[in-house]
Amino acid sequence: MAHSPEVIAELEDKANLVRRNIVRIFESSKQGHAGGTMSSVDIVTALFFHHLKLDKNNCDWPERDRVVLSKAHAAEAIYAVLPEIGYVSRDMLDKYYAFRSQFQGHADRWCTPGIDYSGGSLGQGLSFAAGMAKAEKIHTAIHPPTVQVTTANYPKLILKYNPAYRVFCIVGDGELNEGQNWEAMMFAAKYKLDNLVCIVDYNKFQLDGPVEMIMPIEPLADKFKSFGWDVREINGHSIREITDTLDLVNNLYGDGKPKCIIAHTVKGHGIPVWESVHLHYSRLEGTTIAVKEGREIYG
Amino acid sequence: MAKYNKYVQIGPATATAGAAETAMVKVCQKYPNIVVVLEDMGMPGIEWFKKNAPERIVECGIAEANGAVIAGALAAEGFIPFIHSFSFAVIERAYNQIRQSILVDRFNVKITARDAPWGDLGISHDIVEGIACTRCLPNLVILNPADAVEAEKAYIAMVDYVGPVYFRMEYSAPAPYKIFTEDYPFEIGKAYAIKDGKDATIIATGYLVTEAIKAVEILEKEGLDVGILNISTIKPLDEEAIIKVAEQTRAIVTAEGGTIIGGLGDAVASVLAESAPAALVKVGVEDEFSQSARLTAEVDELKDFFGLGAKDLVISVKEAIAKREQFKLVRK
Repeated sequence: MAHSPEVIAELEDKANLVRRNIVRIFESSKQGHAGGTMSSVDIVTALFFHHLKLDKNNCDWPERDRVVLSKAHAAEAIYAVLPEIGYVSRDMLDKYYAFRSQFQGHADRWCTPGIDYSGGSLGQGLSFAAGMAKAEKIHTAIHPPTVQVTTANYPKLILKYNPAYRVFCIVGDGELNEGQNWEAMMFAAKYKLDNLVCIVDYNKFQLDGPVEMIMPIEPLADKFKSFGWDVREINGHSIREITDTLDLVNNLYGDGKPKCIIAHTVKGHGIPVWESVHLHYSRLEGTTIAVKEGREIYG
Repeated sequence: MAKYNKYVQIGPATATAGAAETAMVKVCQKYPNIVVVLEDMGMPGIEWFKKNAPERIVECGIAEANGAVIAGALAAEGFIPFIHSFSFAVIERAYNQIRQSILVDRFNVKITARDAPWGDLGISHDIVEGIACTRCLPNLVILNPADAVEAEKAYIAMVDYVGPVYFRMEYSAPAPYKIFTEDYPFEIGKAYAIKDGKDATIIATGYLVTEAIKAVEILEKEGLDVGILNISTIKPLDEEAIIKVAEQTRAIVTAEGGTIIGGLGDAVASVLAESAPAALVKVGVEDEFSQSARLTAEVDELKDFFGLGAKDLVISVKEAIAKREQFKLVRK
């Protein structure tokens, strides 16, 4: 679909900037959830630099789009974006995990401007996102929103339903082992939460090993579909596919279906030493090698 | 009849269940942002919502984990969500969800729960650990009213307070006495001395306040002047009030319907040990689960089986007084 090559190239540059910031984060922290952070970089970049409705001067703007990072251990990916938006100072990149830092080990709503959900206990984010989407439905019924959701590509789009805000939830594949996700899926379908987009960062690995060995979740798309969701599968490292798909689902508000984008990704993507072993958590010496590699690639 | 303090007028047993209903109808007219998050277990005042505000009913079905997190998210967006079920479900089934998605961010969710250590439904539903398993959770206020008047006032105060609250309703316990007058000024975090006494003090919560009143009347006839301190806010605990009665009598009996491990008795014990040494006897369920009993006279039988009746309190008061003499503790 209709994103210009310039827009895509610009976003790809942003994704590399985010990766450079992540390398800086690991350089000082010497530890962190490396694999799941790197696999979600392109998704996070497309959301924050292109798709989300945000106010750069007010991270609490009531009509901002919500991002619920259910896999809150991948917070480094969003932390790497926040200084670029201006929600936190760039110095924070050197304070990940530090005592009293705005960059806590897992995403934390109270500490960090721009974070909407305090996660870390897996499997709850989709419920929280569904609750926020339901809140929007109740609010909008009473107070119709003032700003029309549009994107660069569909400026004259006439929406069947104009949500005050949309809710984007990023879930990991491993955390889909948690039964609560499926409670949330039933809930979202029941209340026709078409303002909710669940993006599965499907990097195929969880802590103990491959998802298909630990607890198989396939056929994942069919499962979401059977729960009444609109499902699309994409390459989660193709900025073009991510942005086009996000714009496509943007077209569908009012169809009464919650949206699921299954993004096929690679654990540790972008840092060869992490990618080669599908690393979940990096600490100390291993981090030094990865940082050296990262510096060579991203500057 | 013993002499009680202001705002106390002992009356016949009155069930508390209706109080929450009445209070809910009052508060939902004052707060148009209350939403009820159902877990297939009804809700006090639900009929009002069905009739007047069906758009504010969010039914999650039998999925308490999801329900708790949905409530947290609705609170994040400015609503005052209520969740309601048995404690074993609404609290324990969703313990980590409440911790992570409600308490960590101090979301303004009201958790109302039917629970009591006794009752018809038996071991699965009659929770003895309700206070113990919640008292350790940061950011959570725990209310456990003693009678219908206090239940209604506490329910309203819970909504006026901004933050997460666990409101306990001891539905299947025997109906408590009517204890308070209509002008009783309930305040979250304040214990109320129902009766002063110089020989000993029973520090009681919930239905056990009624048994404490019965016990005090028996002891009065035996020539002992025993006070009653009603703890309706389990957390934050009114330590000042506990220290005051401990210094006055140096003989304390705690009385609660649930387990004595981690319950009110242990909370009081830490206050006494740290600030006001006193002889202490803890009355409550002794490290065991409950069982079924028909909601007639059998509930009383079960209560006596657990050693939670007035006559058990009478023995415990005497034991506390004997301990005080043994420990040579001096009253102020």
